[in-house]
Amino acid sequence: MGGVLEKGVWYKVIQVGANSPHIWGENDLMVKDRKFILFMILPTFLFISVVTFVPAIRSIFMAFQDYNMYYLTKKFIGFKNFADAFCDPIFVQALKNTAKWVLVSLSLQFVLGFSLALLLRKPFKGRGIYTALVFYPWAVSGFVIGLQWRWMFHGSAGVINDLLLKIGIIKEKIAFLSDPHYALYSAIVANIWYGIPFFAIMLLAALQSVPQELYEAARIDGANAFKQFVRITIPYVKPVIINTTLIRFIWIVNFPDIIFSMTNGGPAGSSHILSTLLISKVYNEYNYGVASAIGVVIMLILVTYAYFYLRFSKTEGGF
Amino acid sequence: MKRLLLIIRVLALGAFLMCALFPLYWTLVTSLKGQTEMYTYPITYWPKEITFENYRYLLRSLNFTRYTSNSIFVSLFSSLAALIVASFSGYVLARKQFSANKVLFFLLFMTQIIPGFILMSSIYVMFAPVGFTDSLFVLIFLYTGIMVPFSSIMMKGFFERIPESIEEAALIDGCKKLQMLFKVVFPVTAPGLAATFCFAFVNCWNELFLAIMLLNSESKKTIPVGLNSFVGKADIDWGAMAAGVMIALLPAMLIFAFAQKYIVQGLTQGAVKE
Repeated sequence: MGGVLEKGVWYKVIQVGANSPHIWGENDLMVKDRKFILFMILPTFLFISVVTFVPAIRSIFMAFQDYNMYYLTKKFIGFKNFADAFCDPIFVQALKNTAKWVLVSLSLQFVLGFSLALLLRKPFKGRGIYTALVFYPWAVSGFVIGLQWRWMFHGSAGVINDLLLKIGIIKEKIAFLSDPHYALYSAIVANIWYGIPFFAIMLLAALQSVPQELYEAARIDGANAFKQFVRITIPYVKPVIINTTLIRFIWIVNFPDIIFSMTNGGPAGSSHILSTLLISKVYNEYNYGVASAIGVVIMLILVTYAYFYLRFSKTEGGF
Repeated sequence: MKRLLLIIRVLALGAFLMCALFPLYWTLVTSLKGQTEMYTYPITYWPKEITFENYRYLLRSLNFTRYTSNSIFVSLFSSLAALIVASFSGYVLARKQFSANKVLFFLLFMTQIIPGFILMSSIYVMFAPVGFTDSLFVLIFLYTGIMVPFSSIMMKGFFERIPESIEEAALIDGCKKLQMLFKVVFPVTAPGLAATFCFAFVNCWNELFLAIMLLNSESKKTIPVGLNSFVGKADIDWGAMAAGVMIALLPAMLIFAFAQKYIVQGLTQGAVKE
């Protein structure tokens, strides 16, 4: 290790860091160990700063600048980007859609994922292969999932229309993705399908960690299956339920992929959520200022949310 | 009563499996259909005539072989780099001697709230003036940075399972700390390292938005970017699209099937107290 630490800028940084009382406080580690720890974590600091934190600060600045790729003025214009964003009816629509997108997807992902976990709880022949198959959506990108569902929801040649006609639920074909009433909900269906494995995996692991003795004791006391579920299973897995749901909230807000490839916000912006709106401001309008303003709005929502999440999960014994 | 419950359970499990597999099945069927059969009514649920013309078209006329090798190149090196960086910081997080661990963990958590696509315009503005666009190496750098935080948290979980006594034994034998890591700790965590690598690989393989932003030339595109340039066209060739989707998702699926057991372990041990 000595050789690596003895040279260059790294050495300077590590040298100064190892002797700084601000970092170490009451810690009674030897300087040698301090150097080792800094050597181990500095690359991570470097990467997350350059890739996340510096761009994040930069984009907060850009949100107050006239940053359009067509005419690079970069003038500071106060809150004009925010005003532009908020006055756009599509933004308001996207805000409402984000709420629908998150709440409907999250609740159904949870209910279906929990049901699947309960079904998988007791071992059966071939469970290993079954779970590998049923969990596969997890490995696929949201973008590709969106393409698959876009083809399945196709207005004339789509298989979903064909199946619904055969079962008799609908009388004539529906143009799911070009009808503003259906576009967002079609994407939500795909998103629910995509998110079931995550909940099933996490909750299955939690269910399997419930000590079996508890159930045996309950059975001896004459508690039926329903009572066992409410009194033992639910309280035992409650921390995992809370944690996974809260974390999943962040992921779904930050998940433009499916909508991007299924509808790209259309028709006429009716299925945009905040994150897809941001992407279309960048890709289609090159309006980085307004895009950054929308990004700041998303970050504000999520940072506020994360603050309460972290406080809450501390009291509930979180991750 | 017991029998009824069993029947319900089997039916429900069957329904879940069918719903999960149907999109995959449908994409496969579509990719094997000829151009005429694609849009004929009534819809056929198995191709009347299996043809590989979609795959042939994709690999010959479009640059799909190029996209695939680009994707492999980028994903391989970014996940390797992320693994090395993350296993270092994951180790520090797991051994709780470092008093600033809480700060580090908080910063890693914050990166998960601010995803790459929100920052893509500022990343572009930072990188473009220096000429850092349209380069696979820049993409590797960015993907590494994006994958480091989650990989660190995953590796932390795996390192926590190793008893500290084996490290002490190695140190007494005269190993230096970094030597001890490579000779003792990493070999013992091999399954964890493999799982984290696979997880990062699949995520890089799937990434779309930064790649669209940064890659322009045909020869640099990755698979998702290539597929996306398809979608932009007014008249989508769904046969070729389905074939492209199959090529995009099969490697990811195979890697996950192989590493699933360990990835699940890595993800759940933080959440589930044993």
